[in-house]
Amino acid sequence: MRLFDWRWLAVSSALAAGLATVMPAAAAETRPQYGGTLHVTMLEAPASLDPADNTQPDSFARRSLTLLMFETLVTMDSNGRPHAGLATSWQGLSGGQRWRFRLRHGVKFHDGTALTAENASSSLRAANPTWNVYADADSVVIELGSADPTLLAELAQPRNAIAKRNSDNKPAGTGPFHIVDWQPGKKLVLAAEEGHWNGRPFLDSIEIEMGKSYRDQMMELQLGKADLVEVAPEQAHRFSLEGDRLASSAPLELLALSFSREVASPEDKLLREALALSLDRGSVRSVLFQGAGQPTGAILPNWMSGYGFVFPADADLPRARQTREQVHTIPRWIIGYDSGDPVGRLLAERIALNGKDAGLWLQAASGTTADLQLVRIPLPADPWIALADVSTRVGLPTAKNKAGSVEDLYAAEQAALDTMCIIPLFHLPASYAAAATLKSWTLRPDGSWNLADAWLGSGKP
Amino acid sequence: MSEAVYNSAILNLILNPVIRALRSAPSLRLVLQFFFIMFGLALTASAADWSVPEQQLAKKIAAVTGPGAVAVTIENRSSLGRRDNEIVQNGLRGALEGLGLRVEKAEQAAATVTIALSENSTSYVWVAEIRQGAGEVAVVMVSAPRAEGAPAARDSVPLSLRKIPLWAQDTPILDVIVLEENATPTHIAVLDPERVLLYRLQGGKWQQEQALPIVHERPWPRDLRGRLVAAADHLLDAYLPGVVCASTAAMPLALNCRESDDPWPLVAGTMNGSTLSVFPSAGLANGAATVVPQMKAFFAPTRNFFTGALIPGVGKFTTVPKFYSATLLPRDKYTLWLFAATDGEVHMVVRMGRRSGHCEDSMRSGLAGAGVKFRRAGGGFGTRVRVPRSRPGCSQRGGRILRRDHRAVDGSPR
Repeated sequence: MRLFDWRWLAVSSALAAGLATVMPAAAAETRPQYGGTLHVTMLEAPASLDPADNTQPDSFARRSLTLLMFETLVTMDSNGRPHAGLATSWQGLSGGQRWRFRLRHGVKFHDGTALTAENASSSLRAANPTWNVYADADSVVIELGSADPTLLAELAQPRNAIAKRNSDNKPAGTGPFHIVDWQPGKKLVLAAEEGHWNGRPFLDSIEIEMGKSYRDQMMELQLGKADLVEVAPEQAHRFSLEGDRLASSAPLELLALSFSREVASPEDKLLREALALSLDRGSVRSVLFQGAGQPTGAILPNWMSGYGFVFPADADLPRARQTREQVHTIPRWIIGYDSGDPVGRLLAERIALNGKDAGLWLQAASGTTADLQLVRIPLPADPWIALADVSTRVGLPTAKNKAGSVEDLYAAEQAALDTMCIIPLFHLPASYAAAATLKSWTLRPDGSWNLADAWLGSGKP
Repeated sequence: MSEAVYNSAILNLILNPVIRALRSAPSLRLVLQFFFIMFGLALTASAADWSVPEQQLAKKIAAVTGPGAVAVTIENRSSLGRRDNEIVQNGLRGALEGLGLRVEKAEQAAATVTIALSENSTSYVWVAEIRQGAGEVAVVMVSAPRAEGAPAARDSVPLSLRKIPLWAQDTPILDVIVLEENATPTHIAVLDPERVLLYRLQGGKWQQEQALPIVHERPWPRDLRGRLVAAADHLLDAYLPGVVCASTAAMPLALNCRESDDPWPLVAGTMNGSTLSVFPSAGLANGAATVVPQMKAFFAPTRNFFTGALIPGVGKFTTVPKFYSATLLPRDKYTLWLFAATDGEVHMVVRMGRRSGHCEDSMRSGLAGAGVKFRRAGGGFGTRVRVPRSRPGCSQRGGRILRRDHRAVDGSPR
């Protein structure tokens, strides 16, 4: 055996390498550059960075922050396939009731200590007190009461990221960035982890400012003070940004009306049905959301379930009135909304108007003491986990069998909707705008941003 | 993520032997013809296998309606192509009729069945909504796994892309070299982050012959780069950040890796001791090989660029700014080294031959001869290479760094 004749190679190399090297203006910049500080702003103002802190509501921002500093045993791609994270391999035993995860070697927490099966097990127990988790040599073993085919997707949730909780109660992670400065609810400064098992990130540091309104965020982007900002769905269409500077996830935030109590009587159920039938989601989408989002009568978006269109989302005012007329005494309902939600008040007032058209008596008010509440629920990308999360959030019993056929999923969702404790309104995307200098940042399937491979370039095309 | 510039010659490395071999090797042409036939058969096969979900859904519908006349509407709400859509529609109607249902117009039917061919992120979902009289709507559905790699349609844009891989693997390919026996390509060596894989062409397919693991202690950089280089006294060397591996000479191969910051060879060519034979496409009057000193550069082991330190250097220049890639353009009177620097500029270093003189004109014509044309950023054509008035770089002995903002230079193959 000998090497292929190099003459042709030299010819083509001189041409191709010369061309690739010299000519395309962006060619040299297509390779990631190291260095720089990335400035990020967000509306959310989390008070804790602990991934297992369930006093903090789930949000796209929290997911994004968590996965900068912490990592999960497995990750899921956009097709729902698992990939190795801190675990390099895994095995389901006993029909899916017992799982063994072999940990990656050479991984260190940001405090310099090695990742061990003991502290990984401890972390998962803190996040899931009902799980039986223990260490076995270099593996983590999880034993469940019943088979759970969604376990891998559950472990990929940021809330199950592995954290080592030291005596000062500050969690240490293994992620690509470590904490330099943390002012709860205000500012977070992160620095690249030089010895990260997957290679040092390209950015030197990330500065994240919290509690910024969408308007302020966009202003900071335009003034060059921020490189990555959040964009309200209703504002996304206004930005005539060049190229790929505006990015949106699949619609996976559920905007819904959640009743504070279960159906009390057949009349109560009829009134809720009348309200659901009166809602003119199309007009709300056009006016309030400027065409963004998808009106829905389903909890799970159609792209996730495949059958979402079966649940009607169109208004049917005659039927709403007909249904309402079966009830003689009309109670006064307060629709609660979050005063921090830019469209919360307008949306609640619009719903009240729709309800009044059907003969219902509704009033919008900020706060949480209300008969029904406008809620935004960021959904995980796995349909079964998403349905369970929504059920937990609105106080419904979760489906015991967390897996099965698409027909089982439909039946579980139908059962949740039949309780009339939740009226889905819209599925909204998570949208972000980036400076031209920010390269190679990506959106994960769960709507969070991924900056582990991001880098800062010159910004010129 | 970014595209490699340094390894940009790989495309030619893979394709050119095939094209060359096509001219001289009828057997390879047959192999390719066979490949395309098989590809066509595969397409046909994948389009025909809907019978199971068709039967399943038809049974579920029949269980609700019972035998009799039904009106059926089928709507494609998925990424299913037009041809598959037609096949599925016909298949569903046939399956329903096979179960004793008669497909009629709505006014003659006892039940109306609206079937939506939908999908979710992992599979096709076919949903049937069945209306019988004034009763409630019954919903039944089945799911069918989507073919590997088939995209989920989240928008209504009817766009489909088809990929025909010539060579592909899940893990990134860092470098490839083609090996031949008796003027026929018989092997390829593929460098990926953890292995050097040796494939042999057998029966028209590349069959893995050996997988040689790359042992390394330190984590790789995120933008991992690597290089396979033919060796004089053994088959090949593999260069990765902070690691150098050398193969044995005889088959079966073994790979010995060691932590090392040894410099990487910059340009492939036929090596003879410390010199390199290069055959430029144009620019040399006699069209013969040029022999230039083998150039090596140190690679930053935790980054994705060369540090700029050169061995032995271009003339008196032993360091250049940090760069991602480099190439050389040898000419009669000089050799031009081009470095794509990390700061976005292209740096040119000229090593003059025995004659000095019209350096600028020589370089301009030399670059043009290599297939590069230069354009001013504001439009128009003209020289973009400037030499200081004193022209120290055109001396007999040394080189001269000419810095160009590469964004101001836009060239394209002619």
